Amino acid sequence: MTLALTGHAVGRGIAIGRSHLAEGSELEIGEYRIGADEVDKEIRRYRNAIDAARHQLEELAGRVSRNVGIGAAEIIQTHVLMLSDSRLRDGTEDHIRRELCNAEWALQMQLERMLLEFRSLDDEYIRSRGEDVAQVVRLVQNKLNEEAADKPFENMPDRLADTLVISRELTPGELAILHERGVAGIVTEHGGPTSHTAILAKSLGIPTVMGVRRAQSLLREGEILVLDGGLGVVYADPDEAISNHYLEVQRITRRFKNSLEAIRDLPAVSLDGQRISLQANAERPAELQMARDEGASGIGLYRTEFLYLQGAPPDEETQLAEFAAAIALLGGIPLTIRTLDLGADKSTDYLDFSQLRRCANPALGLRAVRLCLRDTDLFKTQLRAILRASALGPVRCLIPMLTSVQEIRMVHLLLDESREELEERGLDYDREMPVGGMIEVPAAALAIEELGRHLDFISVGTNDLLQYTLAADRVDEQVAHLYDLQHPGVVRLLRHIFREAEALRLPATVCGEAAGDRQYTRLLLALGLKEFSMHPGRLLEVKQVVRETDIPKARAALSHWFNLPPGSPPMSLLQVINESQR
Amino acid sequence: MIAGNVTIVNKLGLHARAASRLVNCASGYASEIRIVRGARAVNAKSIMGVLTLAAARGAELVIEVEGADQQQALEALTALIEGRFGEDE
Repeated sequence: MTLALTGHAVGRGIAIGRSHLAEGSELEIGEYRIGADEVDKEIRRYRNAIDAARHQLEELAGRVSRNVGIGAAEIIQTHVLMLSDSRLRDGTEDHIRRELCNAEWALQMQLERMLLEFRSLDDEYIRSRGEDVAQVVRLVQNKLNEEAADKPFENMPDRLADTLVISRELTPGELAILHERGVAGIVTEHGGPTSHTAILAKSLGIPTVMGVRRAQSLLREGEILVLDGGLGVVYADPDEAISNHYLEVQRITRRFKNSLEAIRDLPAVSLDGQRISLQANAERPAELQMARDEGASGIGLYRTEFLYLQGAPPDEETQLAEFAAAIALLGGIPLTIRTLDLGADKSTDYLDFSQLRRCANPALGLRAVRLCLRDTDLFKTQLRAILRASALGPVRCLIPMLTSVQEIRMVHLLLDESREELEERGLDYDREMPVGGMIEVPAAALAIEELGRHLDFISVGTNDLLQYTLAADRVDEQVAHLYDLQHPGVVRLLRHIFREAEALRLPATVCGEAAGDRQYTRLLLALGLKEFSMHPGRLLEVKQVVRETDIPKARAALSHWFNLPPGSPPMSLLQVINESQR
Repeated sequence: MIAGNVTIVNKLGLHARAASRLVNCASGYASEIRIVRGARAVNAKSIMGVLTLAAARGAELVIEVEGADQQQALEALTALIEGRFGEDE
């Protein structure tokens, strides 16, 4: 008889395999008294446990950052910060001193106090951060009590292929370890869809159902399970109809993945023989590596903001070192470095804090190149680092959010000054380094003819361009429905950009999300786009569409759509273009 | 002591990653840094404190900084928050 258990749909995907119940016992936290002369010793014991836990997490974060990705590592870093938090530390130590009790009990009491605070908040996401605090505390409790510690993976096989792990609860760190061992799917009794474990499971693509009550008692070791992570259901002992359905879904998914693998080493050439350049947006080493592995022909967008988010602005050498490392990783494919794209309404020395006011409308305020042109020292430091990097490999410099020709002139002026400064210092740079601009402002898009004459290439940031063109913020749910790439105004604007760029023989890239969304690939090809830059994980999917597109036919369909007589039956543009390919 | 007003503009607000970046940034300065939201004030170097502000997009915060490097600290934190913590939206 099929048993269906439900929980939170967390990690989409289907997993079919045998169950493995992760062992884990509730750690008993007892209270006992200590003498006043033992307080220092107890506090030392507590601090040692914190240090040991932190050490373990830092080591794990390093490994996860290399093997899994920076996003996953950042989740674990949050736990490291929690371990270092003064409230957790001081609150527990005060409790030990005041109550003369053991560290375990004091820590548990401090946890209860902090959980109360988290639970009192209205925001569901933040409320569930209480779970993270509890997980971090459990880790410290395990360190305080090594013998009795619960070791959920003690009897876990090293390879977990075709295995679904059933666990009471799971920390992000434990999940990362299961992922390393190739786990097929995850079921937990506790934990919600906004927990960090859930976020990590989603980003790792592990089929996962969380919050399945009594899963450990209802499921047996080694029985066949079918897990549907999208629906949030686990079937034990599934009947034939259920098994067949999911096996079919798995077959289709596998066929799609195989079809992508089959074109991994094939060029991105359309049916009519046009070669399309597929590049990647990347910044961290793991993404750069992935870009290479997935066959990117370059890095079309290398963001530099992360360099500026670590306190004081980075100096020239720090930036150069970062760029040099990226160039070395890329092995000769071009790197397009975007200059600082931060927004702030005030910056550095001319700042008068008594007058610091919030920017009325940050999206339309002092940001990106506008900010850089206000703080030319900050900007030139970066320009010099980029110029010096250009001596080490193929580098292009990309200026974000250009609006006017005047801004481009100023950028060129500052570039000239930077080159002179480097020459005075006897430092090398590429005299031919291309300088391009991001087209995100509608007025700039309409004035490609004027702006383009001063640029070596353009890159269209469709996310901001659409937001500004449609006057709709896509993350504002109340107006998100207006945010539509198929709006005739947007399609005309994009067509204008690519036509003008072609007339000026100006290479044009799209680096917004639309570039990596395969449903728009044919539309962008029909509009005349030859260079796409996207998340490296999308490269194969987009290449597949490119290889299955006849661009002249798609272009004809686009013209046809523009010329549809009024009163024609409504047909979406994507539909019209897709039908042209049959 | 100096202070500045700032509005959370990134999509997800002060969620865990943004809060981590804020705490990391604040911890790089010697100054005492407090973040005030309405009646609540927390230590900017405490991840738990910053998270319990539950500051979503649109939340208005005051950053209060006191110490030798207060100027740089306030600038850096303001730039970080207004720069959407380096996130795309």
